[in-house]
Amino acid sequence: MMQFPKDLRRRVETFAAGPDGGRPPLPIDPRFWRSPLRSRRFTSILGLTLLVMLTLVIVCGLLSYASYNPRLAGNDPTGRHGLLGFYFFTWPTHPVWLYRLTQSTHVLLGLASIPFVLAKLWSVIPKLFELPPVRSPAQAIERISLLALVGGVTFEFVTGVMNIQLYYAFPFSFYTAHLYGAWIFLAGFVVHVAVKLPVAIRAVRRRGLDPDPEGDQAAAVHDPDGPDDLRAVEPAPATITRRGALIAVGGGSALLVGATLGQSFDGPLRRTALLAPHGQAYGNGPNDFPVNKTAAYRGITADATGAKWRLELRGTQRLSLDRAALLARPQSTHRLPIACVEGWSTEQEWTGIPLADLASMAGVTGKATVLVESLQKNGSFGKVRLAANQVADRRTLLALKVNGADLEPDHGFPARIIVPAGPGVHNTKWVTALTFVPEQA
Amino acid sequence: MSFFRRRYGAHPLHLLVTVACLLVAAYAAQRIYVSTEDWWKIGLWFIGCVIGHDLVLWPLYALADSAVLRAARGRAALAQPPGWINYLRFPVLGSALLFVVWFPLIARRSRGIFEGTVGEGVNGYLGHWLIITAALFLISAVAYAVRIRRASMPRTTDPTPSTDQ
Repeated sequence: MMQFPKDLRRRVETFAAGPDGGRPPLPIDPRFWRSPLRSRRFTSILGLTLLVMLTLVIVCGLLSYASYNPRLAGNDPTGRHGLLGFYFFTWPTHPVWLYRLTQSTHVLLGLASIPFVLAKLWSVIPKLFELPPVRSPAQAIERISLLALVGGVTFEFVTGVMNIQLYYAFPFSFYTAHLYGAWIFLAGFVVHVAVKLPVAIRAVRRRGLDPDPEGDQAAAVHDPDGPDDLRAVEPAPATITRRGALIAVGGGSALLVGATLGQSFDGPLRRTALLAPHGQAYGNGPNDFPVNKTAAYRGITADATGAKWRLELRGTQRLSLDRAALLARPQSTHRLPIACVEGWSTEQEWTGIPLADLASMAGVTGKATVLVESLQKNGSFGKVRLAANQVADRRTLLALKVNGADLEPDHGFPARIIVPAGPGVHNTKWVTALTFVPEQA
Repeated sequence: MSFFRRRYGAHPLHLLVTVACLLVAAYAAQRIYVSTEDWWKIGLWFIGCVIGHDLVLWPLYALADSAVLRAARGRAALAQPPGWINYLRFPVLGSALLFVVWFPLIARRSRGIFEGTVGEGVNGYLGHWLIITAALFLISAVAYAVRIRRASMPRTTDPTPSTDQ
């Protein structure tokens, strides 16, 4: 214990002595960064992999937003998209697994990217502390764009990963933050790729994709990296080769994907999703498949869905039908998936009345959109509009039964919508009213 | 052209692309501003993300790594086959990665919402993560044992130095 003041004094003296007087270097000193793994080629391999993966993640993410048909009134969960809706197109209804594909790709590739993003950030962090901080106006403006890139990627991954496990600890709307955060990230991403892609390709092409440390040192004699050089000035002895490090990163990706992939499939494969919310085993009954939002959570009472329940059909005429009347009409049965924005999905067999038939009953023929209203007391998707192509598709059902049995309350009893290729929230549960609106020519 | 390059530091296209992209980012930020009252909270989280990884997470994993190395100096280095450090690192990193990504479920942080959403209990994830961690260590141990065994077997041909760990 008496050592403490002496020890402290010695530490202060060492610190004051400076880097050559025995003090360990600070991060702004290149000698601080001792990993022998760092090199421009190592970073380039990570970067090129991320270029492919993140481009797909971004495209699937933007498609997900388009799938909500945000141009229809009330359908946009993010607020006011302005010019950022330029690419919208009416979401198709085939193939029926379209949204299932795009959204599970978005989530799974996103998870797979995490180890690569972490490794890449680690590999370039010496540059954060490099002096002088600004070499030229070009470099200054590039560093500003890095705020969008690094802040954006971290923000997107943090909000995304929290959302898929229903951890809504962020004090704002997920949709607004995640979508516009994605555009901010995309801006930084485009700058980064535009500036660094030629550098990365050159670095990788020099020796193929072989990340051999000795080869790198030899190449340095002929082609020094200049101000972009990431190699350690005083490398510590290697404890792992670059190839080994890349295998570790790839292995991390495989691990994350492997533990989540099961969420996108029915049957025994689902149970391999050991860490994901919808990987539980369900029974073999007709209603044993994943639920998103129970009836209780949405304030649905047995009273509201019991004998008193009526489906209000509105068009040029108004009709009020009870469940028996609906069941008496000709039913259609289709196998259709429900795919959630969180990346999981399930496929079941649905029986009900095509929306097109209900439109005719309401006196609406020709192209029409529909406003679907639910009994649910909270949540953002209690009212949803379906586009004309979705109404016209004979596979779009007001489902009354699933797998031959009545819907259970958690699955939307007495009636729910099922839309082929649509995002999960458009499969409205506990439907109470359908208002058909003819499309203006 | 080279006058511009000297003053600016790069090709004019660099300026064009960067400014265009920053304008898009600014527009997206403005969309956030008009869409929600919580725009400043989003901004705060965004800044937190900028600072968070580089100045918080990175020192943590650098420290962890150097701590292990110091403890095992001399005996764990790559050059002395078969070094064990990587057979420790892989399962630790794999397990840590899974924990960092899935900790809200493992630590049952989202309990209330989870039960209302999924309709099932939020238990079991800790157990799953522990099993996966155990499996990772087991696989690594087996791989290491195999490696030691192969290294101690007499070589009949001219050995080529192994270049992987």
